[in-house]
Amino acid sequence: MANTADMATPAASPLRSALRRYGTSYLMLLPFLALFAGFLLWPLANSLFLSFTRFDGINPAEFTGLDNFRRLAGDARFRHALGNTALYVVASVGLGTLLSLGLALAFNGTSRPHRIMRTLFFLPSVTSSIALMLMWKWVLFPSDVGLANTVVGWFGGHAVAWLATPGLTVPILVLMSVWGGMGYGMVLYVAGLGSIPEEYYEAARIDGASTWQQFRRITLPLLRPVTTYVVVTGLIGAFQVFEAVYIVFRGTNNVGGVLDSGLMIVPYLYDQGFTHFRLGYASAIAWVLFVIIFVLSLVNLRLGRAMKEL
Amino acid sequence: MAVLETVAPDRRARRPAPAPDRRARVNRHLLRLPFHLLSLTMVAPFYWLVITVFKTPTELARTPPSFVPRSPTFDNFHDPDWSPRQINPGHLQGIFQRFQVDFGFWRFLFNSLFITTAITVGSLLICSLAAYVIAKHDIKGRRVIFLMIIASMMVPWQTTLIPNYVIMRNLGWLDSYTAYIVPALAKAFVLFFLVQFLQSLPNELIQAARVDGAGEWRIWWTIVLPLLRPALAAMSIFIVLAEWNNFLWPLIIVQSDEMANLPVALARLNSYFAGPDHQGAIMAGGLLASMPTIAFFLVFQKYFTRGIALSGLKG
Repeated sequence: MANTADMATPAASPLRSALRRYGTSYLMLLPFLALFAGFLLWPLANSLFLSFTRFDGINPAEFTGLDNFRRLAGDARFRHALGNTALYVVASVGLGTLLSLGLALAFNGTSRPHRIMRTLFFLPSVTSSIALMLMWKWVLFPSDVGLANTVVGWFGGHAVAWLATPGLTVPILVLMSVWGGMGYGMVLYVAGLGSIPEEYYEAARIDGASTWQQFRRITLPLLRPVTTYVVVTGLIGAFQVFEAVYIVFRGTNNVGGVLDSGLMIVPYLYDQGFTHFRLGYASAIAWVLFVIIFVLSLVNLRLGRAMKEL
Repeated sequence: MAVLETVAPDRRARRPAPAPDRRARVNRHLLRLPFHLLSLTMVAPFYWLVITVFKTPTELARTPPSFVPRSPTFDNFHDPDWSPRQINPGHLQGIFQRFQVDFGFWRFLFNSLFITTAITVGSLLICSLAAYVIAKHDIKGRRVIFLMIIASMMVPWQTTLIPNYVIMRNLGWLDSYTAYIVPALAKAFVLFFLVQFLQSLPNELIQAARVDGAGEWRIWWTIVLPLLRPALAAMSIFIVLAEWNNFLWPLIIVQSDEMANLPVALARLNSYFAGPDHQGAIMAGGLLASMPTIAFFLVFQKYFTRGIALSGLKG
């Protein structure tokens, strides 16, 4: 129908000809753009607005200016959550990256034992994460029926209240994260190792380079893009830690575990937003998280570009 | 496509292996030793999980714990000797008897399976459609749109958590499949990846189809989607794993038992029952929740490592 109408008026308006040319294209973009705008762009703007208000989810949001951010700056629990998160992020990403690289170097062959090892270390990445958390909670059971305390008992130690000792909370969270994540980094490193031409090593050997020198001068520099990727995605993921704290450490009325020892940014956001219904305050926390992740991503872009120019 | 080939780990094996001297070989094995020991720490918790599933509640509460179930049992899935009316010592509800919903634990398996499938298929369709336009159509504003989408990848999704919760509530979508699926469909990283992949493909096939008079929708369905297959496979792995494990969003939008996905159901189980004798049923639930993704991995193992490597090397 539209076609015959157009043919009848060859000098169709530019709008109509543009519509005919691009109409389908925009129609094909529409589902994505509509969902993207509705559930990402608009909520993002909305959460920025909410961060300047007092909002309980029922009564209309009441504008309070910078009040939430001022209160955040003086909120001891929030500062504690930030400190905890920083400690957790640095330790888990540092240790995780080192072990990922080590595993990749140790098991990058094609032999059966190497493939089995890689599968074993990768297994946590494809296991239900909540199931893993429940598994840890059971392994770390406070009495002698738990696996960890049984092992401690073999060495003559007494049962440890793993999950109720504040000093152990962050180390346990780090260990759980490293245990579950190093296989994923290993897969990335194995791929990186596979893309290094064997000729480089042959040339180095002819020149009499030792294994360590080959690693230091060839492997490590050529793996740098992989390292950047593993570290930055690791940092971004670690800043958003939630399940481990919520499942393993949450008490009956405290999301952060004993004495808030496991309180992190997202658990605190959840606590403020969905336990206390301070949605404005929680939005302010969400924007602090946003700024942290955004800066990290920009650093990632910068680093990536700098690498290419090198 | 070149990337795909460089990540194939068997490339090095095809070359003649250099002959390192004996000392270097011994050294190499010594260096590997700590990682072999590390693998024990991988096996131990998994082994602990699996044996727990097959122990009776009485055995689970006993110290020291046994490392081989004394009388292996499936009671932690369904205990025929347990009755809600009368206490039967040594017998507790199996995982399939724990929830007061129709079909019990099966309901959560179904929910997770349905939601994950719907999001994976839906988002791949929607994102590939948009990716085709952005990569291959010369329309106004496509650079701006693409830049906006790339920028949005730097936004942690938790920032939109509260407004999205309010939107779901105002639309009356709380506690429904819609709330799980619809907000999860427009995935920026999927679109970004597909656009990059499409840009590396030549235009000839698409041009030829246009000359033959095929419409854009047909080109998308019959030419673009098949060309995208490796990229779609890689992306579906990421989407499936992420959605299968999705926890915080369901935790907020789900109120009833019926609408829980596996992670939320397991978390509730965890907060209701704490004793060692209940761990058998809880671990049975964890095992059931993990089986589908582990099976998915074992079947598509090659795509997994390639997909991950592809995302890492391109990113």
